[in-house]
Amino acid sequence: MIGAYDPGMAGEQRADAAALGREALAYADTLYNLARYLTRSPTDAEDLVQETYARALSAVHQFTPGTNLKAWLFRILRNTFLSQYRHERHNPTVGGLDTVVAVAPGTEPAQWLLGDLELDRLRKVVGEEIERALASLSEEARTVILLDLEGLTEVEVAQVVGCAVGTVKSRLSRARAALREKLRDYSR
Amino acid sequence: MTCDEARELLLDVQRGRLPAERRGALESHLAACEACAHEAAAEALLSEALEGRLPQHAAPLALKRRLAATWPGASAAEPAPRWWAGWRRALVPALALGVLLLAALPLYYPRSDGPGAPMVTEAVNDHLRLLSSQHPLDIESGGMHQVKPWFEGRLDFAPVVRFLGDDDFPLRGGAVGYYLDRKAAVFVFHRRLHVVTLLVFRADGLPWPSRGLEHIGAVTAQVTTSKGFNAILWREGELGYALVSDVDLPDLVRLVGKLAATA
Repeated sequence: MIGAYDPGMAGEQRADAAALGREALAYADTLYNLARYLTRSPTDAEDLVQETYARALSAVHQFTPGTNLKAWLFRILRNTFLSQYRHERHNPTVGGLDTVVAVAPGTEPAQWLLGDLELDRLRKVVGEEIERALASLSEEARTVILLDLEGLTEVEVAQVVGCAVGTVKSRLSRARAALREKLRDYSR
Repeated sequence: MTCDEARELLLDVQRGRLPAERRGALESHLAACEACAHEAAAEALLSEALEGRLPQHAAPLALKRRLAATWPGASAAEPAPRWWAGWRRALVPALALGVLLLAALPLYYPRSDGPGAPMVTEAVNDHLRLLSSQHPLDIESGGMHQVKPWFEGRLDFAPVVRFLGDDDFPLRGGAVGYYLDRKAAVFVFHRRLHVVTLLVFRADGLPWPSRGLEHIGAVTAQVTTSKGFNAILWREGELGYALVSDVDLPDLVRLVGKLAATA
């Protein structure tokens, strides 16, 4: 492990922390993107990312070299968001992730028609509609969708959001079902 | 394999983390179950939409500078290797000359891959899609006074086009289209037997070029050629305009003059 950053730390440790900092800064765009979708505000996103890096710097001794730095930074960012922003400004939106159920197997003819329309709609949906639909989901749903999109494995997503791997799988499945539902709403 | 089991694996197979034998079982199930095949298609399309079309927000430069300043040593340059010290005196002037030459090249050779290149490509592709469509127009023209109100409620902005069409460039109609990640109002004019497509869209967040522009009437526009089509792009306030056709460039410039003079 790297020692907690301290201006008086040994030269080698300081070099390690600086190297970690350089690597961490390479994720600024990725972290800011997640922050934008969590806070839904450019200003809040900047504050959140800045606070994330400040916390990462002070907790640099907790990072184990060789593990996933990106996932570690995501975890700090999300925890910071939950502790500072969520309750103050942006409550999760209506519906909630857990109220959305993926389409059950065994469809009726009417649902087939809806299904065909859905596929057609998904082919044509534009970026701003996806962004709006994503923004209307709960924080939990947005987070798992975006982390999955970032290429994190289910194990890494579980580490970021602090739950079991199996829970990630079901959360992601429900989140995507909720997103499809929102996109379907836009086409009606 | 049951439908529930199959649906649990849909994302795994997309992400390439399903062992071969499980993948085989899933593929067999999908081949036999229409409902699950539909789910697989919808999930694949959702991934495609998220990966290809969801806007990505880059951190502002000012924020990156603040972050680098916060983390001591993170932005510090690596110590120069020993070989560099010897070569620096000769290489630096040569590199500086190279940079100057590269910067000067676009002044002599028109570029086809500048900042606005994706915008030109998209505009030309939209024009091609319109040409190949069986029903390119959602509303046939009875004049601009009939076409423009038709867009109300179909777009999240009001397209400003005050040129009504004339004998040289009669307006044929309009449609709702897509331009990159946003909706666009599509107006179709004719020039003799040639089709001229005008796309109007929200201008924010697009990579508008700032160099190599030409003044046409009241606007400053990018005039270029792509795939044999002439394309002229410009912005006015919050709206962007892209005009594409195979008509002669002087004719197209004349139409921009009409659109810009009255817009």
